[in-house]
Amino acid sequence: MKMAFSNPHITATAVEAQEFMELSRRYRVTGVPKTIINDTVEILGGLPEDDFVAQAFPGLTPTA
Amino acid sequence: MPLLSDNDAAVLRQHLQPVTASVDLLLFTQAFGGAESGPIAKQVLDEIAALNDKVHVVEKNFVLDTDDRTRYGVEHAPCIVILRNGEDTRMRFLGAPMGYEFVPLVESVLMAGTGDADLTQASVDTLARVTTPTAIKVFSTPT
Repeated sequence: MKMAFSNPHITATAVEAQEFMELSRRYRVTGVPKTIINDTVEILGGLPEDDFVAQAFPGLTPTA
Repeated sequence: MPLLSDNDAAVLRQHLQPVTASVDLLLFTQAFGGAESGPIAKQVLDEIAALNDKVHVVEKNFVLDTDDRTRYGVEHAPCIVILRNGEDTRMRFLGAPMGYEFVPLVESVLMAGTGDADLTQASVDTLARVTTPTAIKVFSTPT
């Protein structure tokens, strides 16, 4: 949510996995939290903010 | 029966006190054939909105309000879209925001109301490099 709020190109959607089973199946959600970015990058579990951002946007970190 | 206890409501009221901007919580629901969680989502939002005069719930009909669905890219119901001073914050919640989604919802309302995402400088620097449309979905469960 923080990332979407901070960048007009980003939209963030929190999905209640049990209620939206079709989406959960489509994205092969077998554990939560599971994050999907542009239908390609998958992040399982919770991560510290900097690690999450680095995994979500590989190649875009300032040191990359 | 309220979902929030008096004590929880008092804590949340204090937590949301820094909100200065107008925050609209658009709730898209489907009255007929819609999910049972629609009324629960409405109650959650109403109880949050009751804690701060700047926060408002705006009900939208998932079937009839097609212009708003298109404007905010709403494909499922119930769906919550958060606006700050009438502008889309691009923060969405699908389903009733109970359990693990409740805290992110409150924090999103706070963010919209204060304008502060509270990100680290490293994150801000990385996110500044994101220049193409990016859709993030986070799946969680109520418990």
